[in-house]
Amino acid sequence: MDWGKVKFFLGEVLRNFTRNAGMQATAIGTVAITIVLLGSFLFVRTALAGLGGQLLDQIEVSIYLKPDVTAAQTTAIRDAFKGDPRVLSVDYVPKKQGLVELRARTKGEIDTALLTENPLPDKFRVKVRDPDNVPAVAASARQLAGVENVVYGQDYVQRLLSLGAVLRRVGLGAILVFLIVASIIISNTIRLTVFARRREIAIMQLVGATNMYIRMPFICEGALGGLLGALLAIGILWIARATLWPRMLEALPWMPLSSAAVDPVRLALELLAVGGAIGILASWISVGRHLRT
Amino acid sequence: MISLRGVSLVYPNGVHALDHVSLEIGKGDFVFLVGHSGTGKSSLLRLLYREAKPTAGEITVDGIRVDALKRSRVPALRRHLGVVFQDFKLLSDKTVWENVAFAMQVTGASSRDVMRQVPRTLDLVGLAHKSRMYPGELSGGEQQRAAIARALVNNPKLLLCDEPTGNLDPTNTTEIMELLLRINMKGTTIVVATHNQAVVDRMRRRVVRLENGKIVTDEERGYYYLGLGQGQVLSG
Repeated sequence: MDWGKVKFFLGEVLRNFTRNAGMQATAIGTVAITIVLLGSFLFVRTALAGLGGQLLDQIEVSIYLKPDVTAAQTTAIRDAFKGDPRVLSVDYVPKKQGLVELRARTKGEIDTALLTENPLPDKFRVKVRDPDNVPAVAASARQLAGVENVVYGQDYVQRLLSLGAVLRRVGLGAILVFLIVASIIISNTIRLTVFARRREIAIMQLVGATNMYIRMPFICEGALGGLLGALLAIGILWIARATLWPRMLEALPWMPLSSAAVDPVRLALELLAVGGAIGILASWISVGRHLRT
Repeated sequence: MISLRGVSLVYPNGVHALDHVSLEIGKGDFVFLVGHSGTGKSSLLRLLYREAKPTAGEITVDGIRVDALKRSRVPALRRHLGVVFQDFKLLSDKTVWENVAFAMQVTGASSRDVMRQVPRTLDLVGLAHKSRMYPGELSGGEQQRAAIARALVNNPKLLLCDEPTGNLDPTNTTEIMELLLRINMKGTTIVVATHNQAVVDRMRRRVVRLENGKIVTDEERGYYYLGLGQGQVLSG
């Protein structure tokens, strides 16, 4: 290791970095905002994925049979879903068992002893592999003979599915916009440094420094800005996780949200990587533009 | 060392800077390029260190075909030659020592080589005692010495000087030209573009005269003005 060379190189990077501190701070701030957004999006998405999965797993299609359904019709319905690749399981629930389950579920809130006869129809309980297929499976069940009614909480499923999609789109859109803004600001910051150092760059080119060598300090400057922005963002996210998140959980007790699925170390490393990558990319582009002329 | 064959240079704005120029300069030569401003002296030098690319013709510098040189190979060419300008092009926030060392550092020299080569070169140009000063604290002549040291520190075989004495008084001019002579005697090929008549007339070296982008005369021991001192009539 040639320490003289290392010292010279680091000196150049640091001098660049501190030369326009104001612009540098703006760049770091923008990166931080971008990464806070990205981080909270990833965090909430992971937490929601657990929640969504949990809720959707509970969704089953209940096929209520007509009171006068024949045994052959019942078998036909069962067979129709047994062979369906979208279907995970088909269970026949005779009305007696249905009543037992109802009793268990209501835990004495409804006094079933008052019932003189069982009001429940026989039914099939169908579990579907992919929640997206629930509406289609329900529709095909309605076509079958002997089926009285099909219930699966249509609104609930559809809303959950579309809410997820909307959130994803809005979140990704906002992140994309901020990524672009952050890149532009870093790129401009580097361009200012490049401009301030144009004489040095000209001399470097004159004495035969390679473009790679000329580029390096600027790339490091950009990477440093990106990483500092990411670190700041991780700090902000850390504080938010410690203060806001518990309150959110309190405010929404009915939502089984959980951050258990989030690996904080992995998320932090991912965010650092994103910050560094924005910095490197933005500075690469803005120096490249200068060197080509 | 240098060979130009049918070289033309047309700038994008349509100006014909050089028009079918052919020129041979041998190893260890000392050559003046003279002519009025805008006759193509600087353009010719710029072609040699590949700051510009010829529109037509072949250029060879130290065995490298400069006209066909890929962009990625330009740094390698420039490490074989040094360039000195009228305005010195020193970095004002670096000391003389740092300015000279910069040329080595940015081309990846080891710090051992830098420590060995920089003092030696500063000694050659006579600036060893001012190596810790900044360019702003030096006279014009001293700044040009520092610039020459920077051009020489990587031991180039060729030194290109574009109006090296343009900003200097007569005393400093003489000193710089003497320094260039000394460097030339050590075997470095030197090409000086100038319109300083006194310098050219006193040195009596090879003089290549450009007019409107063409070489009009090429004399072995020439004067600034064609035929001066030989009893001939001034032409052009």
